[in-house]
Amino acid sequence: MPDGGFPVPQTASKMIRADRLTKRFGPLVAVQDLSFEVVPGEVLGFLGPNGAGKSTTLRILSGWWPASSGAASIAGHDLARDSLRARRQLGYLPESFMAAPELRVVEYLRFRARLKGLDRRTARTRLGAVAERLGLQERLRQPFGALSKGFRQRVGLADALLADPPALLLDEPFGGLDPLQRQDFRKLLRVLAAEGKAVLFSSHVLPEVEDVADRLIVLLHGRSAASGTLAELSAHLAREAPLRVRLAGGAEALEAALQEGGAAACRCALLSRRGQELWLRPEAEDAARRLFRWLAGRDAAVLEFGRAPVGLEEMFRHVIESGERAAAETVP
Amino acid sequence: MRAFFALWRREVHGLLVAPFVYLLLGFWFLLNGLMFTYLLTYEREVQQDLGLLAPYLFGSGLLVWLLLPTFPPLLTLRLLAEERRIGTLEPLLTAPIGDAAVVIAKYLAACVFFLIFWGGVAALFLLLAAFGAPLPWGTVAAGMCGALLCSLLFLATGLWASSWGGNLLLAAGGGAALNYLLLFLPVLFEHDEGWLGAVARAAHIPNMLDRGFSAGLIDSYAVTYFLALAALFVYLAWVRLVSRRWVP
Repeated sequence: MPDGGFPVPQTASKMIRADRLTKRFGPLVAVQDLSFEVVPGEVLGFLGPNGAGKSTTLRILSGWWPASSGAASIAGHDLARDSLRARRQLGYLPESFMAAPELRVVEYLRFRARLKGLDRRTARTRLGAVAERLGLQERLRQPFGALSKGFRQRVGLADALLADPPALLLDEPFGGLDPLQRQDFRKLLRVLAAEGKAVLFSSHVLPEVEDVADRLIVLLHGRSAASGTLAELSAHLAREAPLRVRLAGGAEALEAALQEGGAAACRCALLSRRGQELWLRPEAEDAARRLFRWLAGRDAAVLEFGRAPVGLEEMFRHVIESGERAAAETVP
Repeated sequence: MRAFFALWRREVHGLLVAPFVYLLLGFWFLLNGLMFTYLLTYEREVQQDLGLLAPYLFGSGLLVWLLLPTFPPLLTLRLLAEERRIGTLEPLLTAPIGDAAVVIAKYLAACVFFLIFWGGVAALFLLLAAFGAPLPWGTVAAGMCGALLCSLLFLATGLWASSWGGNLLLAAGGGAALNYLLLFLPVLFEHDEGWLGAVARAAHIPNMLDRGFSAGLIDSYAVTYFLALAALFVYLAWVRLVSRRWVP
């Protein structure tokens, strides 16, 4: 049992659970049919452009908003029916975390500990432990309003960790942090996961997600555009990564031939020609094999043939672009 | 209950350390002190019957008309509007505490704090008694009871106005405007012979304070009126908070 004194149901192997979550604001659908689970010890990262629905999803899971349809639960407690119990199992860091500027950090954290139901003694112990863990000891006597953005984020995280909850929701936790602080935060998230906490966080900072998350969900227009481990997503994308052909010469003639039906025959789309390099997007599983044969059949002077390397940045862009293309194609 | 008392304590503490509140307190004590001195020095009627201090200070005297509708909303604007403005409402309402507990804890904190305002006025009477003045304590106590009940109502309207959004001017101005409506509208329509006049006479706060409480009469109708209306506005503030959870 965590120090907060709230029992976690034994069935809560899925610590954070969303089942076909949908959130509408009038005609706008902010989140649509989103389902996922986070188990203890796992870090799940939410990626997506602005307005993709990341913060909305986290706000639903924090109990701030209800879902328009679907269900969400924390540690087995349904957020719609049993919101208070669900919130007792939860530490939440909102995107723009703020506390009353005149309150000293220690006063704020003491108040939050009491608000979360900790008795005086436990509150003192937890406050000390959390302050030490986050390097806040020397800032405890300072008013919140006098802290830098980085230390404010730490206070927010300290608040989320105070009751030692088994589930953590962190909305853009790396926002406004300097590189060293980011590194510290990344390590801390891994440590928290190693301690058995289920961590769900959103971020725009791709390398952070790449470093920290066990699994990713890429959100676009409120829907999951892609999900899986980084390796799974990279492997999936590798099959669709652009093909690059570097030639000793004759790239212009080959470009013309590709435009006149060659590309279609190879089940590729010609993307561009950069000097003696041709870039093509594969549109079928066997596109690379077909293109290679086609080039061999024309006796092309191929120096290099392969796929562009895929990192998270490319993957993210690819998922977003594919999603945008699909959305544009469905518009009547 | 632990969370409720933690929030209540923080709100009282927040009011105690806000410099703006001390400006209000100073202004309140100054005006009441001046009025008190003026009445004792220049009003022959009051000198002859100290019981008449109650209508002036707790009834429909100038101070009540000026200060009572405006000061409570200035206190309550920080309860919800300020939280929304600086962005602390979300961490508060996602903590394991119910929305109703948040609203009631904040309202009760403002109520308890407003006791300090009236406590200062009560101190003036105690001072007078210490000099041996024969005070009609029943009338003074009833007058203060009416002023306190009216304050509870005006704090509740202020709380409701504070729940409208993050605009502090709207919270303070809206609350004060509501309070003036509650005071003035019945006065405007009290002579109407139809149902409007009947409603106006039933909701006539100056009459309740002047002819009731300040005359030494604690009318159960007036007590119920103030408490019921205060409860209604606290309820409306709660409704405004939970409206974010309404599924569109």
